[in-house]
Amino acid sequence: MTIAPSPPVMTPPTVAEQAGTEPVRVDMTAVPLPAPAPAGAPTPEATAVRGARLDAHQVSAWFGTNKVLERVSLAMLPGTVTALIGPSGCGKSTFLRILNRMHESVPIAKLSGEVRLNGEDIYAPSARITETRRRVGMVFQKPNPFPAMSIADNVTAGLKLTGKKIARSERDDLIEDCLQRGGLWAEVKDRLNEPGGALSGGQQQRLCIARSLAVSPDVLLMDEPCSALDPTSTRRIEETIAALREQVTIVIVTHNMQQAARVSQQCAFFLAEQGTPGAIVEAGTTEDIFERPKDARTSDYVNGRFG
Amino acid sequence: MTTALLDPPAAGAPQEPRKISRKPVGGDAVFVNTFRAIGASVLVVTGGIGVFLAYQGWPTLHHYGLSFFTTQAWNPDTDTLGIAAVLVGTFEVALVAMAISFPLAVTTALYITEYAPSRLRSTLVAAVDLMAAVPSIVYGLWGFFLIEPHASHFAVFLQRTFGWFPPFHVDADPNAAVPDISRYTASAFIAGVVVSMMVIPMACAVMRQVFSLTPESEKEGALALGSTKWGMIRAVVLPFGKGGIIGGTMLALGRALGETVAVLLIVSPEFIIKGRFLEIGSDTVSALIASQFGEATGIQLSALLTAGFVLFVITLLVNTLAAIVVSRSRSGAETA
Repeated sequence: MTIAPSPPVMTPPTVAEQAGTEPVRVDMTAVPLPAPAPAGAPTPEATAVRGARLDAHQVSAWFGTNKVLERVSLAMLPGTVTALIGPSGCGKSTFLRILNRMHESVPIAKLSGEVRLNGEDIYAPSARITETRRRVGMVFQKPNPFPAMSIADNVTAGLKLTGKKIARSERDDLIEDCLQRGGLWAEVKDRLNEPGGALSGGQQQRLCIARSLAVSPDVLLMDEPCSALDPTSTRRIEETIAALREQVTIVIVTHNMQQAARVSQQCAFFLAEQGTPGAIVEAGTTEDIFERPKDARTSDYVNGRFG
Repeated sequence: MTTALLDPPAAGAPQEPRKISRKPVGGDAVFVNTFRAIGASVLVVTGGIGVFLAYQGWPTLHHYGLSFFTTQAWNPDTDTLGIAAVLVGTFEVALVAMAISFPLAVTTALYITEYAPSRLRSTLVAAVDLMAAVPSIVYGLWGFFLIEPHASHFAVFLQRTFGWFPPFHVDADPNAAVPDISRYTASAFIAGVVVSMMVIPMACAVMRQVFSLTPESEKEGALALGSTKWGMIRAVVLPFGKGGIIGGTMLALGRALGETVAVLLIVSPEFIIKGRFLEIGSDTVSALIASQFGEATGIQLSALLTAGFVLFVITLLVNTLAAIVVSRSRSGAETA
């Protein structure tokens, strides 16, 4: 895979500022992963894996003149849940929002570097922002279904918004399929016409997951999806994530160490030390990060000694 | 010595709910009652206006009977007075004003809240608010000298295109080599165009306020699904702001119904129900009162005040309806 280095999408303040601190570079492609099996020797299990590969390459980000991310590179692979962990304010959420171009909805936000979806830079001038966002779905911290729409309409809202027509019979199948995959079908199958706002918080979040799945994304980003939910709902969401892993590449930001350990196969530890922008300290398999961290700061964080 | 953490359940009569006093005491009571009195004075003033006008209406109805509401002519010399024509004229002017101001107010409010860059936003808000600060008489002069010459030509075009539909008809030949422009001036249409400019700021301010309250999380939810900005606005902002759109429009309608000076300057008074709003001649209740008040005496003065009462009731109804719609909508419930 060869990609010519392209100029930064948005103008960074100065080159000197970029080179100010030595960035921590992590080449995730070198990390051995439990799944999927190496290309060339496809096992039946490997061929069933869907989703796209997402590569962040030297991503830096600013809000105004305040630099919040320093040259972050990370590979997020199909069939894998990648957890982004780290203390508050270390740039995890900013990084996540860069992955589907939600970052630029803030007027003063800037960035440099590349994000490649199956090898294609999503910030290239020819890339369509709406298509990128359709392919890289997002579930937010606070459940945000469209409250006045029915549960069924919430699921199909993405199709309507992206201008996709769907036949009536297919529509019902799609609603059932997405709600099944979101782990909500059994609870709402008899009240699909009730408003989405009438569901409980945990159900609303699963409805949001189902809504994201309806536009058949290749990647699903989750920004602390359980932080507003009770333990039971959290468990349901985690089960949903586990079930979806083979269907879509998942990247999840979480403050909950146990959750990161439970749901993810890969893990990246972000840290913004005093006065410096956030960067990845260490990344690797979840097992390595939690059992055999190489960096003392990672070890301190995952063992709850700070943050 | 141990302390019992739980009272043993007492035997005896079953418990009754206890009364809790919510009455403010001391300084609180003074504060609450002062402000209650100030609030009540607003109602007293509004109610007083209504009672005064209604009281004046009694001799009118006694003298003219119910034909006051069905007579079109306003002819003090022969003592035949009625408000049928001016009521229709009032609604004609208001409808034209709403037809023009509604799309402009909605799109302006959407542009300001959703599209305008933040530096331009405050300038635009100030500019729209400034439109509300321009005196009516200035709008009237502006309409008379600047708008009328152009709007009358546009009226010719409208008749040419939609003349088959009776309201767009004018008793003149629009296809003549030189159309008789004077037939197209001083009409309800031109008054409506001018009034529309006066009601835009009010409608726009309400809509802008409501649109800006749209939860950011729902907007992001739509955008994250791959929606275009316009798709997001249709799916999230407009449904959320529906109450504000309706409420702002009705507030603007209330203002349009009562607008006086600009109409007085522009329309040439005519007391016939023609239903042809592009044609010269019309009048509204408020313009009628303003133009006749100086010369009216006795029963005719009373008749003018009764016309004022009818207008008062109509605008009160429209505004009340607007308030109900806004407060019952999702966006309104969150602001109230």
